[in-house]
Amino acid sequence: MYEVLADLSTPLIMGILLGGLYSVIALGLSLVFGVMRLINVAHGDLVILGSYFAYTVMTTLGIDPILSLVLGMPVLFLIGFVIQKYLMARAFGISMEAPLIIAFGISLVLENFCQIVWTPLSRGLTTSYTLAGFSLGEAYVPLVYLLDFIAALVVMILLREFLGRTYLGRAITAASQDRRASQLMGINTARIYALTFGIAAAISAVAGVFLGLTFPFTPLSGIAFLIIAFGVVILGGLGSIIGTFIGGIILGLAQTLGGYFFGPGAQMIFIYVMVLVILAVRPQGIFSR
Amino acid sequence: MLAALPIIGAPRNWLLYIFLFSIYLAMANMWNLLCGYCGLISLCQPAFIGLAGYTLVIFTWNGLPVYLGIIGGAVVAAAFAILISIPIFRLRGIYFAIGTLVVPEVLRVIFLLWRPVGDVIHGKGAGYMIKGLTEVSMTDIYWLALFIGIASIFLMRLILSSKLGLGLAAIRDNDNTAASSGINIFRLKLYSFVIGAIVTAIAGAIFYMSQEYVEPISAFGMRWTMTLILATVIGGVSIEEGPIIGTVIIVMLHFLLARYAGISLLLQGILLIIIMSMAPQGIMGFIRKTRAYRYLLQ
Repeated sequence: MYEVLADLSTPLIMGILLGGLYSVIALGLSLVFGVMRLINVAHGDLVILGSYFAYTVMTTLGIDPILSLVLGMPVLFLIGFVIQKYLMARAFGISMEAPLIIAFGISLVLENFCQIVWTPLSRGLTTSYTLAGFSLGEAYVPLVYLLDFIAALVVMILLREFLGRTYLGRAITAASQDRRASQLMGINTARIYALTFGIAAAISAVAGVFLGLTFPFTPLSGIAFLIIAFGVVILGGLGSIIGTFIGGIILGLAQTLGGYFFGPGAQMIFIYVMVLVILAVRPQGIFSR
Repeated sequence: MLAALPIIGAPRNWLLYIFLFSIYLAMANMWNLLCGYCGLISLCQPAFIGLAGYTLVIFTWNGLPVYLGIIGGAVVAAAFAILISIPIFRLRGIYFAIGTLVVPEVLRVIFLLWRPVGDVIHGKGAGYMIKGLTEVSMTDIYWLALFIGIASIFLMRLILSSKLGLGLAAIRDNDNTAASSGINIFRLKLYSFVIGAIVTAIAGAIFYMSQEYVEPISAFGMRWTMTLILATVIGGVSIEEGPIIGTVIIVMLHFLLARYAGISLLLQGILLIIIMSMAPQGIMGFIRKTRAYRYLLQ
Protein backbone atom coordinates (compact mmCIF):
# COMPACT_ATOMS: atom_id res chain seq x y z
CA MET A 1 0.00 0.00 0.00
CA TYR A 2 2.73 2.39 1.01
CA GLU A 3 4.69 1.56 -2.12
CA VAL A 4 1.70 2.29 -4.33
CA LEU A 5 1.29 5.66 -2.66
CA ALA A 6 4.97 6.43 -3.02
CA ASP A 7 4.75 5.46 -6.66
CA LEU A 8 1.70 7.63 -7.11
CA SER A 9 3.27 10.64 -5.42
CA THR A 10 5.16 11.65 -8.56
CA PRO A 11 2.10 11.82 -10.87
CA LEU A 12 0.05 13.42 -8.08
CA ILE A 13 2.52 16.23 -7.43
CA MET A 14 3.23 16.68 -11.15
CA GLY A 15 -0.50 16.80 -11.86
CA ILE A 16 -1.14 19.51 -9.30
CA LEU A 17 1.78 21.59 -10.52
CA LEU A 18 0.77 21.04 -14.16
CA GLY A 19 -2.71 22.18 -13.16
CA GLY A 20 -1.15 25.58 -12.47
CA LEU A 21 -0.04 25.82 -16.09
CA TYR A 22 -3.46 24.76 -17.33
CA SER A 23 -5.21 27.35 -15.23
CA VAL A 24 -3.00 30.12 -16.64
CA ILE A 25 -3.78 28.89 -20.15
CA ALA A 26 -7.48 28.88 -19.31
CA LEU A 27 -7.52 32.25 -17.58
CA GLY A 28 -7.53 34.30 -20.78
CA LEU A 29 -10.31 32.20 -22.25
CA SER A 30 -12.31 32.48 -19.05
CA LEU A 31 -11.90 36.26 -18.95
CA VAL A 32 -13.10 36.75 -22.53
CA PHE A 33 -15.88 34.24 -22.03
CA GLY A 34 -16.99 35.81 -18.77
CA VAL A 35 -17.02 39.38 -20.04
CA MET A 36 -18.15 39.04 -23.67
CA ARG A 37 -19.84 35.62 -23.72
CA LEU A 38 -17.52 34.72 -26.56
CA ILE A 39 -15.65 31.44 -26.79
CA ASN A 40 -12.49 32.58 -28.40
CA VAL A 41 -11.56 29.61 -30.57
CA ALA A 42 -8.30 31.36 -31.42
CA HIS A 43 -7.20 31.36 -27.77
CA GLY A 44 -4.97 28.31 -28.09
CA ASP A 45 -3.23 29.87 -31.08
CA LEU A 46 -2.66 33.10 -29.17
CA VAL A 47 -0.95 31.06 -26.46
CA ILE A 48 1.23 29.32 -29.05
CA LEU A 49 2.02 32.70 -30.62
CA GLY A 50 3.23 33.75 -27.17
CA SER A 51 5.48 30.68 -27.06
CA TYR A 52 6.94 31.45 -30.49
CA PHE A 53 7.46 35.10 -29.62
CA ALA A 54 9.46 34.09 -26.55
CA TYR A 55 11.34 31.58 -28.69
CA THR A 56 12.36 34.27 -31.18
CA VAL A 57 13.39 36.70 -28.46
CA MET A 58 15.37 33.96 -26.75
CA THR A 59 17.20 32.78 -29.87
CA THR A 60 17.92 36.21 -31.38
CA LEU A 61 18.50 38.40 -28.33
CA GLY A 62 19.49 35.68 -25.88
CA ILE A 63 17.00 36.88 -23.27
CA ASP A 64 15.55 34.38 -20.81
CA PRO A 65 11.98 33.41 -21.84
CA ILE A 66 10.47 34.55 -18.55
CA LEU A 67 12.19 37.94 -18.84
CA SER A 68 11.07 38.19 -22.48
CA LEU A 69 7.55 38.64 -21.18
CA VAL A 70 8.39 42.30 -20.71
CA LEU A 71 8.25 42.44 -24.52
CA GLY A 72 5.80 39.63 -25.14
CA MET A 73 2.95 40.84 -22.96
CA PRO A 74 2.60 44.30 -24.56
CA VAL A 75 2.84 42.81 -28.06
CA LEU A 76 0.13 40.24 -27.41
CA PHE A 77 -1.95 42.85 -25.59
CA LEU A 78 -1.86 44.97 -28.72
CA ILE A 79 -2.82 42.03 -30.94
CA GLY A 80 -5.73 41.17 -28.68
CA PHE A 81 -6.85 44.79 -28.52
CA VAL A 82 -6.82 45.11 -32.31
CA ILE A 83 -8.68 41.81 -32.83
CA GLN A 84 -11.49 42.88 -30.55
CA LYS A 85 -11.67 46.48 -31.66
CA TYR A 86 -11.58 45.97 -35.43
CA LEU A 87 -12.96 42.46 -35.95
CA MET A 88 -14.98 41.13 -33.05
CA ALA A 89 -16.79 44.35 -32.21
CA ARG A 90 -18.40 44.29 -35.65
CA ALA A 91 -19.07 40.57 -35.49
CA PHE A 92 -21.20 40.86 -32.36
CA GLY A 93 -23.68 42.98 -34.29
CA ILE A 94 -24.01 40.55 -37.22
CA SER A 95 -25.33 37.30 -35.85
CA MET A 96 -24.90 34.68 -33.16
CA GLU A 97 -22.41 32.57 -35.05
CA ALA A 98 -20.43 35.37 -36.69
CA PRO A 99 -17.99 35.92 -33.77
CA LEU A 100 -17.33 32.20 -33.57
CA ILE A 101 -16.65 31.90 -37.29
CA ILE A 102 -14.42 34.97 -37.26
CA ALA A 103 -12.50 33.60 -34.27
CA PHE A 104 -12.12 30.39 -36.25
CA GLY A 105 -10.68 32.41 -39.13
CA ILE A 106 -8.27 34.18 -36.78
CA SER A 107 -7.20 30.81 -35.42
CA LEU A 108 -6.40 29.63 -38.92
CA VAL A 109 -4.51 32.81 -39.76
CA LEU A 110 -2.39 32.62 -36.60
CA GLU A 111 -1.73 28.91 -37.09
CA ASN A 112 -0.48 29.36 -40.63
CA PHE A 113 1.37 32.53 -39.80
CA CYS A 114 3.35 30.56 -37.21
CA GLN A 115 3.87 27.77 -39.72
CA ILE A 116 5.26 30.15 -42.34
CA VAL A 117 7.47 32.12 -39.98
CA TRP A 118 8.73 29.37 -37.68
CA THR A 119 8.25 26.24 -39.88
CA PRO A 120 6.13 23.30 -38.70
CA LEU A 121 9.00 21.80 -36.69
CA SER A 122 8.50 21.10 -33.01
CA ARG A 123 10.20 23.70 -30.82
CA GLY A 124 10.83 24.15 -27.13
CA LEU A 125 12.09 26.94 -24.90
CA THR A 126 15.28 25.27 -23.73
CA THR A 127 17.07 27.11 -20.94
CA SER A 128 19.75 26.31 -18.38
CA TYR A 129 17.09 25.18 -15.91
CA THR A 130 15.02 23.09 -18.33
CA LEU A 131 16.38 19.80 -17.09
CA ALA A 132 16.83 20.84 -13.46
CA GLY A 133 14.68 19.27 -10.79
CA PHE A 134 14.50 18.36 -7.15
CA SER A 135 13.34 15.49 -4.98
CA LEU A 136 10.32 15.83 -2.78
CA GLY A 137 9.98 12.75 -0.60
CA GLU A 138 9.72 9.86 -3.04
CA ALA A 139 8.86 12.08 -5.96
CA TYR A 140 11.15 13.78 -8.41
CA VAL A 141 9.79 17.10 -9.60
CA PRO A 142 11.14 19.05 -12.60
CA LEU A 143 11.85 22.68 -11.72
CA VAL A 144 9.76 24.05 -14.62
CA TYR A 145 6.64 22.42 -13.21
CA LEU A 146 7.17 24.29 -9.96
CA LEU A 147 7.71 27.50 -11.93
CA ASP A 148 4.41 26.85 -13.73
CA PHE A 149 2.62 26.63 -10.45
CA ILE A 150 4.24 29.76 -9.01
CA ALA A 151 3.42 31.67 -12.19
CA ALA A 152 -0.19 30.55 -11.91
CA LEU A 153 -0.43 31.82 -8.35
CA VAL A 154 1.18 35.14 -9.25
CA VAL A 155 -0.99 35.73 -12.32
CA MET A 156 -4.15 34.80 -10.47
CA ILE A 157 -3.51 36.98 -7.46
CA LEU A 158 -2.58 39.92 -9.70
CA LEU A 159 -5.69 39.47 -11.84
CA ARG A 160 -7.90 39.16 -8.77
CA GLU A 161 -6.49 42.32 -7.24
CA PHE A 162 -6.73 44.11 -10.58
CA LEU A 163 -10.38 43.18 -11.07
CA GLY A 164 -11.32 43.98 -7.50
CA ARG A 165 -9.35 47.11 -6.73
CA THR A 166 -8.69 49.23 -9.80
CA TYR A 167 -11.26 51.36 -11.58
CA LEU A 168 -10.69 49.56 -14.88
CA GLY A 169 -10.97 46.18 -13.20
CA ARG A 170 -14.27 47.13 -11.61
CA ALA A 171 -15.52 48.47 -14.92
CA ILE A 172 -14.69 45.12 -16.52
CA THR A 173 -16.52 43.28 -13.78
CA ALA A 174 -19.50 45.59 -14.19
CA ALA A 175 -19.58 45.12 -17.97
CA SER A 176 -19.48 41.35 -17.50
CA GLN A 177 -22.40 41.41 -15.10
CA ASP A 178 -24.74 43.62 -17.07
CA ARG A 179 -23.70 45.29 -20.27
CA ARG A 180 -26.59 47.74 -20.58
CA ALA A 181 -26.62 48.79 -16.97
CA SER A 182 -22.88 49.47 -17.03
CA GLN A 183 -23.33 51.47 -20.23
CA LEU A 184 -25.92 53.59 -18.49
CA MET A 185 -23.44 54.13 -15.67
CA GLY A 186 -21.10 55.74 -18.15
CA ILE A 187 -18.81 52.85 -18.94
CA ASN A 188 -17.62 52.67 -22.53
CA THR A 189 -18.23 48.95 -23.00
CA ALA A 190 -16.71 48.80 -26.49
CA ARG A 191 -13.44 50.07 -25.03
CA ILE A 192 -13.72 47.77 -22.02
CA TYR A 193 -14.21 44.80 -24.32
CA ALA A 194 -11.12 45.70 -26.34
CA LEU A 195 -9.07 46.11 -23.17
CA THR A 196 -10.37 42.81 -21.79
CA PHE A 197 -9.40 40.99 -24.94
CA GLY A 198 -5.99 42.66 -24.74
CA ILE A 199 -5.51 41.61 -21.14
CA ALA A 200 -6.59 38.06 -21.97
CA ALA A 201 -4.04 38.00 -24.80
CA ALA A 202 -1.33 39.34 -22.47
CA ILE A 203 -2.11 36.50 -20.03
CA SER A 204 -1.84 34.16 -23.02
CA ALA A 205 1.71 35.44 -23.49
CA VAL A 206 2.54 34.34 -19.94
CA ALA A 207 0.80 31.01 -20.56
CA GLY A 208 2.73 30.62 -23.81
CA VAL A 209 6.11 31.10 -22.16
CA PHE A 210 5.47 28.58 -19.39
CA LEU A 211 3.91 26.19 -21.87
CA GLY A 212 7.05 26.44 -23.99
CA LEU A 213 9.24 25.79 -20.96
CA THR A 214 7.22 22.68 -20.05
CA PHE A 215 6.27 21.05 -23.35
CA PRO A 216 7.53 21.10 -26.92
CA PHE A 217 5.11 22.93 -29.21
CA THR A 218 4.28 23.16 -32.93
CA PRO A 219 2.10 25.69 -34.76
CA LEU A 220 -0.73 23.15 -34.57
CA SER A 221 -0.59 22.67 -30.79
CA GLY A 222 -3.09 25.48 -30.30
CA ILE A 223 -6.18 23.33 -30.62
CA ALA A 224 -5.10 20.79 -27.98
CA PHE A 225 -4.53 23.59 -25.50
CA LEU A 226 -7.77 25.29 -26.51
CA ILE A 227 -9.62 22.12 -25.55
CA ILE A 228 -7.73 21.88 -22.28
CA ALA A 229 -8.47 25.52 -21.52
CA PHE A 230 -12.09 25.01 -22.38
CA GLY A 231 -12.27 21.98 -20.11
CA VAL A 232 -10.78 24.00 -17.28
CA VAL A 233 -13.28 26.83 -17.79
CA ILE A 234 -16.18 24.39 -17.94
CA LEU A 235 -14.99 22.63 -14.79
CA GLY A 236 -14.38 25.83 -12.92
CA GLY A 237 -17.41 27.79 -14.02
CA LEU A 238 -17.64 31.17 -15.66
CA GLY A 239 -15.43 34.02 -14.60
CA SER A 240 -14.43 32.39 -11.34
CA ILE A 241 -10.68 32.67 -10.80
CA ILE A 242 -10.59 30.13 -7.98
CA GLY A 243 -12.81 27.80 -9.99
CA THR A 244 -10.38 28.07 -12.89
CA PHE A 245 -7.53 27.17 -10.57
CA ILE A 246 -9.33 24.10 -9.22
CA GLY A 247 -10.42 23.12 -12.73
CA GLY A 248 -6.81 23.35 -13.91
CA ILE A 249 -5.60 21.11 -11.12
CA ILE A 250 -8.31 18.51 -11.80
CA LEU A 251 -7.38 18.36 -15.48
CA GLY A 252 -3.65 18.28 -14.63
CA LEU A 253 -4.25 15.33 -12.31
CA ALA A 254 -6.45 13.61 -14.90
CA GLN A 255 -3.62 13.86 -17.39
CA THR A 256 -0.75 12.68 -15.18
CA LEU A 257 -2.75 9.91 -13.51
CA GLY A 258 -4.16 8.80 -16.87
CA GLY A 259 -0.60 8.73 -18.20
CA TYR A 260 0.59 6.81 -15.14
CA PHE A 261 -2.03 4.07 -15.40
CA PHE A 262 -2.53 3.79 -19.16
CA GLY A 263 0.69 5.03 -20.73
CA PRO A 264 1.68 8.49 -21.97
CA GLY A 265 0.02 8.02 -25.37
CA ALA A 266 -3.42 7.75 -23.81
CA GLN A 267 -3.23 10.69 -21.41
CA MET A 268 -4.83 13.25 -23.71
CA ILE A 269 -7.85 10.98 -24.28
CA PHE A 270 -8.61 11.30 -20.58
CA ILE A 271 -8.78 15.04 -20.77
CA TYR A 272 -10.90 15.02 -23.93
CA VAL A 273 -13.35 12.46 -22.61
CA MET A 274 -13.57 14.33 -19.32
CA VAL A 275 -14.40 17.55 -21.16
CA LEU A 276 -17.12 15.77 -23.14
CA VAL A 277 -18.59 14.16 -20.04
CA ILE A 278 -18.62 17.40 -18.07
CA LEU A 279 -20.20 19.20 -21.03
CA ALA A 280 -22.91 16.58 -21.23
CA VAL A 281 -23.62 16.49 -17.51
CA ARG A 282 -23.18 20.08 -16.44
CA PRO A 283 -22.48 22.51 -19.29
CA GLN A 284 -22.69 25.52 -16.98
CA GLY A 285 -19.67 24.29 -15.02
CA ILE A 286 -19.23 22.41 -11.79
CA PHE A 287 -18.32 25.31 -9.55
CA SER A 288 -20.62 27.89 -11.07
CA ARG A 289 -23.62 29.16 -9.21
CA MET B 1 -22.96 16.41 -69.36
CA LEU B 2 -20.29 16.45 -66.70
CA ALA B 3 -20.59 12.68 -66.46
CA ALA B 4 -19.51 12.29 -70.08
CA LEU B 5 -16.28 14.24 -69.62
CA PRO B 6 -14.01 11.27 -68.83
CA ILE B 7 -15.36 9.36 -71.86
CA ILE B 8 -14.68 12.09 -74.38
CA GLY B 9 -11.22 12.43 -72.90
CA ALA B 10 -11.28 15.76 -71.13
CA PRO B 11 -7.99 16.92 -69.60
CA ARG B 12 -7.14 15.30 -66.27
CA ASN B 13 -7.01 18.66 -64.56
CA TRP B 14 -10.62 19.40 -65.35
CA LEU B 15 -11.67 16.06 -63.95
CA LEU B 16 -9.71 16.75 -60.80
CA TYR B 17 -11.41 20.14 -60.39
CA ILE B 18 -14.86 18.67 -60.83
CA PHE B 19 -14.01 15.73 -58.57
CA LEU B 20 -12.93 17.96 -55.70
CA PHE B 21 -15.83 20.31 -56.38
CA SER B 22 -18.34 17.46 -56.04
CA ILE B 23 -16.79 16.11 -52.85
CA TYR B 24 -16.60 19.51 -51.18
CA LEU B 25 -20.06 20.41 -52.43
CA ALA B 26 -21.64 17.35 -50.80
CA MET B 27 -19.91 18.13 -47.50
CA ALA B 28 -20.61 21.87 -47.65
CA ASN B 29 -24.27 21.25 -48.42
CA MET B 30 -24.52 19.14 -45.29
CA TRP B 31 -22.76 21.79 -43.23
CA ASN B 32 -25.19 24.34 -44.57
CA LEU B 33 -28.05 22.06 -43.56
CA LEU B 34 -26.69 21.90 -40.02
CA CYS B 35 -25.56 25.49 -39.57
CA GLY B 36 -27.95 27.38 -41.78
CA TYR B 37 -31.13 25.43 -41.17
CA CYS B 38 -30.68 23.76 -37.77
CA GLY B 39 -28.48 26.35 -36.07
CA LEU B 40 -25.94 23.65 -35.20
CA ILE B 41 -22.37 24.82 -35.67
CA SER B 42 -20.87 21.39 -36.07
CA LEU B 43 -17.08 21.29 -35.96
CA CYS B 44 -16.98 17.49 -35.95
CA GLN B 45 -17.49 16.78 -39.65
CA PRO B 46 -13.86 15.53 -39.95
CA ALA B 47 -14.82 12.76 -37.51
CA PHE B 48 -17.22 11.33 -40.08
CA ILE B 49 -14.76 11.79 -42.93
CA GLY B 50 -11.96 10.08 -41.02
CA LEU B 51 -14.20 7.27 -39.80
CA ALA B 52 -15.35 6.65 -43.37
CA GLY B 53 -11.73 6.52 -44.54
CA TYR B 54 -10.78 4.07 -41.82
CA THR B 55 -13.86 1.91 -42.36
CA LEU B 56 -12.81 1.69 -45.98
CA VAL B 57 -9.38 0.52 -44.84
CA ILE B 58 -10.74 -2.08 -42.44
CA PHE B 59 -13.19 -3.42 -45.03
CA THR B 60 -10.69 -3.64 -47.86
CA TRP B 61 -7.96 -5.16 -45.69
CA ASN B 62 -10.40 -7.90 -44.76
CA GLY B 63 -11.02 -8.68 -48.40
CA LEU B 64 -14.43 -7.05 -48.68
CA PRO B 65 -15.28 -5.06 -51.83
CA VAL B 66 -14.60 -1.32 -51.88
CA TYR B 67 -18.21 -0.38 -52.55
CA LEU B 68 -19.30 -2.24 -49.45
CA GLY B 69 -16.67 -0.19 -47.61
CA ILE B 70 -18.36 3.04 -48.66
CA ILE B 71 -21.70 1.81 -47.36
CA GLY B 72 -19.97 0.54 -44.23
CA GLY B 73 -18.42 3.99 -43.72
CA ALA B 74 -21.84 5.59 -43.98
CA VAL B 75 -23.28 3.13 -41.45
CA VAL B 76 -20.39 3.64 -39.04
CA ALA B 77 -20.68 7.42 -39.34
CA ALA B 78 -24.43 7.28 -38.73
CA ALA B 79 -23.97 5.06 -35.68
CA PHE B 80 -21.22 7.33 -34.40
CA ALA B 81 -23.38 10.42 -34.96
CA ILE B 82 -26.16 8.87 -32.89
CA LEU B 83 -23.66 7.88 -30.20
CA ILE B 84 -22.11 11.34 -29.81
CA SER B 85 -25.49 13.02 -30.07
CA ILE B 86 -26.23 11.69 -26.57
CA PRO B 87 -23.78 14.05 -24.87
CA ILE B 88 -23.49 16.88 -27.38
CA PHE B 89 -27.17 17.41 -28.10
CA ARG B 90 -27.58 18.54 -24.53
CA LEU B 91 -25.47 21.55 -25.48
CA ARG B 92 -26.74 24.69 -27.10
CA GLY B 93 -25.23 27.27 -29.40
CA ILE B 94 -21.60 27.92 -28.74
CA TYR B 95 -21.26 25.02 -26.27
CA PHE B 96 -22.37 22.71 -29.04
CA ALA B 97 -19.59 24.04 -31.26
CA ILE B 98 -16.91 23.36 -28.65
CA GLY B 99 -18.37 19.98 -27.76
CA THR B 100 -18.14 18.93 -31.38
CA LEU B 101 -14.63 20.38 -31.68
CA VAL B 102 -13.40 17.84 -29.14
CA VAL B 103 -14.74 14.81 -31.03
CA PRO B 104 -12.30 14.66 -33.98
CA GLU B 105 -9.42 15.32 -31.59
CA VAL B 106 -10.39 12.28 -29.53
CA LEU B 107 -10.62 10.14 -32.67
CA ARG B 108 -7.29 11.41 -33.89
CA VAL B 109 -5.57 10.33 -30.68
CA ILE B 110 -7.35 6.96 -30.77
CA PHE B 111 -6.35 6.28 -34.36
CA LEU B 112 -2.79 7.37 -33.66
CA LEU B 113 -2.61 4.66 -31.00
CA TRP B 114 -4.77 1.95 -32.47
CA ARG B 115 -3.76 -0.28 -35.38
CA PRO B 116 -7.12 -1.70 -36.45
CA VAL B 117 -5.67 -4.04 -39.06
CA GLY B 118 -2.26 -5.25 -40.11
CA ASP B 119 0.93 -5.54 -38.14
CA VAL B 120 2.51 -3.01 -35.86
CA ILE B 121 5.69 -2.98 -37.91
CA HIS B 122 4.89 0.34 -39.56
CA GLY B 123 4.99 2.00 -36.19
CA LYS B 124 2.11 3.67 -34.47
CA GLY B 125 0.28 6.55 -36.05
CA ALA B 126 1.29 5.66 -39.57
CA GLY B 127 -1.41 5.64 -42.21
CA TYR B 128 -2.84 2.84 -44.28
CA MET B 129 -3.04 2.09 -47.95
CA ILE B 130 -6.54 1.23 -49.13
CA LYS B 131 -6.44 -2.18 -50.77
CA GLY B 132 -8.50 -3.55 -53.63
CA LEU B 133 -8.55 -0.32 -55.60
CA THR B 134 -7.11 -1.96 -58.69
CA GLU B 135 -10.60 -2.99 -59.85
CA VAL B 136 -11.88 0.57 -59.54
CA SER B 137 -10.80 2.99 -62.25
CA MET B 138 -10.34 6.71 -61.77
CA THR B 139 -13.37 7.24 -64.00
CA ASP B 140 -15.56 5.23 -61.63
CA ILE B 141 -14.37 7.27 -58.68
CA TYR B 142 -15.07 10.43 -60.64
CA TRP B 143 -18.60 9.30 -61.36
CA LEU B 144 -19.15 8.38 -57.74
CA ALA B 145 -18.05 11.84 -56.67
CA LEU B 146 -20.23 13.50 -59.26
CA PHE B 147 -23.14 11.38 -58.10
CA ILE B 148 -22.77 12.29 -54.43
CA GLY B 149 -22.28 15.97 -55.27
CA ILE B 150 -25.44 16.17 -57.38
CA ALA B 151 -27.35 13.89 -55.01
CA SER B 152 -26.55 16.25 -52.15
CA ILE B 153 -28.16 19.14 -54.03
CA PHE B 154 -31.33 17.16 -54.61
CA LEU B 155 -31.25 15.85 -51.05
CA MET B 156 -31.14 19.41 -49.74
CA ARG B 157 -34.13 20.32 -51.88
CA LEU B 158 -35.97 17.21 -50.76
CA ILE B 159 -35.23 17.83 -47.09
CA LEU B 160 -36.19 21.49 -47.22
CA SER B 161 -39.51 20.85 -48.93
CA SER B 162 -40.38 17.89 -46.71
CA LYS B 163 -41.92 17.94 -43.26
CA LEU B 164 -38.43 17.84 -41.81
CA GLY B 165 -37.44 21.04 -43.59
CA LEU B 166 -40.64 22.83 -42.65
CA GLY B 167 -40.10 21.82 -39.04
CA LEU B 168 -36.52 23.06 -39.20
CA ALA B 169 -37.64 26.39 -40.63
CA ALA B 170 -40.12 26.71 -37.78
CA ILE B 171 -37.41 25.94 -35.23
CA ARG B 172 -35.04 28.41 -36.81
CA ASP B 173 -37.60 31.19 -36.73
CA ASN B 174 -38.75 30.57 -33.19
CA ASP B 175 -37.95 27.37 -31.37
CA ASN B 176 -40.36 27.93 -28.49
CA THR B 177 -43.35 28.39 -30.78
CA ALA B 178 -42.22 25.42 -32.84
CA ALA B 179 -41.96 23.23 -29.76
CA SER B 180 -45.36 24.29 -28.49
CA SER B 181 -46.98 23.48 -31.82
CA GLY B 182 -45.87 19.90 -31.50
CA ILE B 183 -42.51 19.83 -33.27
CA ASN B 184 -39.98 17.55 -31.64
CA ILE B 185 -36.93 19.80 -31.88
CA PHE B 186 -34.48 17.20 -30.63
CA ARG B 187 -35.60 14.59 -33.13
CA LEU B 188 -35.54 16.90 -36.15
CA LYS B 189 -32.06 18.13 -35.31
CA LEU B 190 -30.87 14.60 -34.71
CA TYR B 191 -32.25 13.47 -38.09
CA SER B 192 -30.40 16.30 -39.82
CA PHE B 193 -27.23 15.54 -37.90
CA VAL B 194 -27.34 11.87 -38.89
CA ILE B 195 -28.18 12.65 -42.53
CA GLY B 196 -25.28 15.11 -42.53
CA ALA B 197 -22.99 12.45 -41.09
CA ILE B 198 -24.00 9.86 -43.70
CA VAL B 199 -23.52 12.10 -46.73
CA THR B 200 -20.29 13.56 -45.36
CA ALA B 201 -18.99 10.04 -44.73
CA ILE B 202 -19.83 8.85 -48.24
CA ALA B 203 -18.11 11.88 -49.74
CA GLY B 204 -15.14 11.30 -47.43
CA ALA B 205 -14.89 7.65 -48.44
CA ILE B 206 -14.92 8.58 -52.13
CA PHE B 207 -12.24 11.18 -51.48
CA TYR B 208 -10.03 8.59 -49.79
CA MET B 209 -10.60 6.17 -52.66
CA SER B 210 -8.88 8.67 -54.89
CA GLN B 211 -6.14 9.33 -52.33
CA GLU B 212 -5.63 5.57 -51.77
CA TYR B 213 -4.16 6.42 -48.38
CA VAL B 214 -5.52 7.41 -44.96
CA GLU B 215 -3.63 8.75 -41.97
CA PRO B 216 -5.12 10.17 -38.77
CA ILE B 217 -3.64 13.66 -38.66
CA SER B 218 -5.16 14.89 -41.91
CA ALA B 219 -8.23 12.63 -41.83
CA PHE B 220 -9.44 14.10 -38.54
CA GLY B 221 -7.91 17.51 -39.22
CA MET B 222 -9.41 20.95 -38.77
CA ARG B 223 -8.64 21.65 -42.41
CA TRP B 224 -11.81 19.87 -43.46
CA THR B 225 -13.95 21.94 -41.13
CA MET B 226 -12.25 25.04 -42.42
CA THR B 227 -13.01 24.19 -46.04
CA LEU B 228 -16.65 23.44 -45.30
CA ILE B 229 -17.20 26.60 -43.28
CA LEU B 230 -15.44 28.70 -45.89
CA ALA B 231 -17.40 27.23 -48.80
CA THR B 232 -20.68 27.79 -47.01
CA VAL B 233 -19.88 31.25 -45.66
CA ILE B 234 -18.50 32.59 -48.93
CA GLY B 235 -21.54 31.37 -50.82
CA GLY B 236 -24.07 32.25 -48.16
CA VAL B 237 -25.25 30.45 -45.06
CA SER B 238 -28.87 29.21 -45.03
CA ILE B 239 -29.20 29.81 -48.75
CA GLU B 240 -29.64 26.71 -50.86
CA GLU B 241 -27.38 27.83 -53.70
CA GLY B 242 -24.79 29.22 -51.29
CA PRO B 243 -22.52 26.17 -51.00
CA ILE B 244 -22.49 25.70 -54.79
CA ILE B 245 -21.07 29.16 -55.43
CA GLY B 246 -18.81 28.92 -52.39
CA THR B 247 -17.40 25.55 -53.41
CA VAL B 248 -16.59 26.78 -56.93
CA ILE B 249 -14.57 29.62 -55.40
CA ILE B 250 -12.88 27.33 -52.87
CA VAL B 251 -11.80 24.83 -55.51
CA MET B 252 -10.52 27.63 -57.72
CA LEU B 253 -8.52 29.05 -54.82
CA HIS B 254 -7.29 25.60 -53.97
CA PHE B 255 -5.74 25.14 -57.39
CA LEU B 256 -4.58 28.70 -57.90
CA LEU B 257 -2.66 28.59 -54.65
CA ALA B 258 -1.67 24.93 -54.81
CA ARG B 259 1.99 25.83 -54.95
CA TYR B 260 1.87 27.94 -51.81
CA ALA B 261 0.30 25.55 -49.31
CA GLY B 262 0.91 27.59 -46.16
CA ILE B 263 -0.03 30.93 -47.64
CA SER B 264 -3.14 29.42 -49.19
CA LEU B 265 -4.58 28.56 -45.80
CA LEU B 266 -3.52 31.93 -44.40
CA LEU B 267 -5.37 33.66 -47.24
CA GLN B 268 -8.40 31.43 -46.71
CA GLY B 269 -8.50 32.49 -43.08
CA ILE B 270 -8.27 36.16 -44.02
CA LEU B 271 -10.96 35.68 -46.67
CA LEU B 272 -13.23 34.05 -44.09
CA ILE B 273 -12.80 36.97 -41.71
CA ILE B 274 -13.38 39.55 -44.44
CA ILE B 275 -16.49 37.88 -45.88
CA MET B 276 -17.98 37.26 -42.47
CA SER B 277 -17.52 40.85 -41.32
CA MET B 278 -18.27 42.62 -44.61
CA ALA B 279 -20.94 40.45 -46.21
CA PRO B 280 -22.21 37.96 -43.61
CA GLN B 281 -24.84 36.69 -46.03
CA GLY B 282 -22.18 35.65 -48.51
CA ILE B 283 -22.14 36.13 -52.27
CA MET B 284 -25.56 34.59 -52.90
CA GLY B 285 -27.04 36.72 -50.14
CA PHE B 286 -25.56 39.76 -51.79
CA ILE B 287 -26.94 38.84 -55.22
CA ARG B 288 -30.36 38.12 -53.80
CA LYS B 289 -30.43 41.42 -52.06
CA THR B 290 -29.68 43.36 -55.23
CA ARG B 291 -32.21 41.39 -57.25
CA ALA B 292 -34.91 42.00 -54.68
CA TYR B 293 -33.83 45.61 -54.69
CA ARG B 294 -34.33 45.85 -58.46
CA TYR B 295 -37.66 44.14 -58.24
CA LEU B 296 -38.86 46.67 -55.72
CA LEU B 297 -37.77 49.58 -57.90
CA GLN B 298 -39.82 48.45 -60.89
